[in-house]
Amino acid sequence: MKINQTKNGSALVIALEGRLDTMTAPELEEQLKEGLNGVEDLTFDFEKLDYISSAGLRVLLSAQKTMHRQGKMKVVHVNETIMEVFEVTGFTDFLCIE
Amino acid sequence: MPEKNIREMTELEKKHFSLAAKTFHATLMGAIVFGMVSLLIGLGLYAYALAQQYIGTAFNLSRNAAAIIEKVADPEPFVEQVMTTYRALPETERKTADTDAYRAHFAAYTTDAVFESIRGILKDFYESSDVYDVYLGMYDRETSALVYLVDPADGEADYCLPGDWDGVTRRGMEKYLTWDGKGELYDIDNTQRYGWMCTAGMPIQNADGEIICFVLTDVTLENVGHGMSRFFWQYTGGMIVIVFLIAYFMTHHTKRTVIAPINAISDAAIAYVQDKQDGVLDSKHFRDLNISTGDEIENLYWIMSDMERDLGTYEENLTRAIAEKERIGTELELATRIQADMLPNIYPAFPDRPEFDIYATMTPAKEVGGDFYDFFLIDQNHLGIVMADVSGKGVPAALFMMASKILLQNHAMMGKSPKEVLECVNNQICSNNREQMFVTVWLGVLDITTGVITAANAGHEYPVWKKDANGVFELLKDKHGFVVGGMAGVSYREYEIAMHPGTKLFLYTDGVPEANNANNELFGNARMLAALNEAADGSVTEVLASVNRAVEAFAAGAPQFDDLTMLCLEYIGKGDRI
Repeated sequence: MKINQTKNGSALVIALEGRLDTMTAPELEEQLKEGLNGVEDLTFDFEKLDYISSAGLRVLLSAQKTMHRQGKMKVVHVNETIMEVFEVTGFTDFLCIE
Repeated sequence: MPEKNIREMTELEKKHFSLAAKTFHATLMGAIVFGMVSLLIGLGLYAYALAQQYIGTAFNLSRNAAAIIEKVADPEPFVEQVMTTYRALPETERKTADTDAYRAHFAAYTTDAVFESIRGILKDFYESSDVYDVYLGMYDRETSALVYLVDPADGEADYCLPGDWDGVTRRGMEKYLTWDGKGELYDIDNTQRYGWMCTAGMPIQNADGEIICFVLTDVTLENVGHGMSRFFWQYTGGMIVIVFLIAYFMTHHTKRTVIAPINAISDAAIAYVQDKQDGVLDSKHFRDLNISTGDEIENLYWIMSDMERDLGTYEENLTRAIAEKERIGTELELATRIQADMLPNIYPAFPDRPEFDIYATMTPAKEVGGDFYDFFLIDQNHLGIVMADVSGKGVPAALFMMASKILLQNHAMMGKSPKEVLECVNNQICSNNREQMFVTVWLGVLDITTGVITAANAGHEYPVWKKDANGVFELLKDKHGFVVGGMAGVSYREYEIAMHPGTKLFLYTDGVPEANNANNELFGNARMLAALNEAADGSVTEVLASVNRAVEAFAAGAPQFDDLTMLCLEYIGKGDRI
């Protein structure tokens, strides 16, 4: 998985590529631990993300909770497979998906 | 360079290629070359100095004799007469110089008072030195000859009378006749008659400054050759002794300062390797060498002893790490067994309940997994069924799974409805969940008498069911709530599934539809449904076996990414199995 971060002031766009699963989620979690300091507008770009597992959902959940306190978060360009995962797990009600 | 490496050599060959031998040869060669060069230079200098000494002696002798002759006598008329007689003779007669007939032309001059006087002076000089000869002579340009005038060495074999002559080279003759008075006048020549001979001369001039004749002194250079030869042998002999002494001491020195420490380091390395093979941890072979040569070898010694110490520490750490890893491995294995034992795994699970049949399996991807299923009788008429998937994998997921499983069962056993159970468990987990773990749960409670399942879905996969004995497996798109542990205060919705005799319910985790093959394709719901329908009429065991086979065939050896957990419930009711 590739993680591309683009920061513009307090806005951060994280574009993910590949699979966000048990093997790769810890890497994203590690980056978010520091990376979310001072971020008020967080966007996850899932255009090139093929797959998300429950470990990946956990990282999103964690990020969403952090962003509740300091700003807003949204997920964009979600493909059908991942959308299905979001629907099944109820994340559609929890996340702001565009 | 040797053709073999040192390990293939015999002891003799090792000696031949050892640093000691190399030092010896190199020193020997160097000293010999140095000796030869210095010998040549020495010989040259020696010969030059000796020759200069001879020349100086001869020239001084000539000069002194000339000075005395000039003071005591006036040789001009005598010389004039001899030279005139010589020049007047025809060439044929001059050729017979050694004959009495020839000498008769000059006999009168030997009684001349001047001749006698000069002969006396020259004789004094001749006898008081070890020159070959000292005599008076004059060069004749026309005939390229040196005409002898006065020779004191009477009675000797090569005694020359006035008028006797020797042929000379024009170059040698001109050198004397045109001398400018600077330095020493001499000429070196190698003739058959006299061998290597140096002739030094001093001209005697008349009042007009014209050269009348020369006082000439012959010194033989044979002695120079003898001296050189003696010098050569003495020098060479001394040099050979010194060269061997130097080579011997150099070799000895090299042995002591280079070879011995290197061999000590080699021996230490061998002992060190032996120690490693024997499992000795704290070897000090290099440290104990205590080499203090102050050069690169001492540096090597320090590096080797540091390496010995660091490797020892490293090995200790490694051994500890491996032991730790083994311990963790053992513990994980134990954890896996405990986890497996936590799930109901004895079949038939309820042999005294003919109204339903249930079967479930779990295959974790890592040692311990986050998936779990559960079923338990709440009371005589109610069966609780759980299918859940904890976020992530490994030990954290397994720990969280344990907590979730116990909480879910505890709340369900209190007789709460699935909705209430999920809400209570969710709030409980959320109250203390800093790691943001969550679990997707499908929870159903079967009323064994009526066959109605009351269920609630907290973010779990859609269940699959076969409506009745004649139906096919299809997804049951139920209403989903949010995952348990995601957010406090979430409420869940309940729904009912009416089971008839022959109705089958299949529950699973995402490991089944998301199983990968080598091309990174997903197994998918369609393949899962197809596999289910292949065994649609089989027992619950056969249904799971069919799915398992299909997943294995699809994955074809690709590593299993996710836990594979499945459960199948068949409702039989009061009647017989259809």
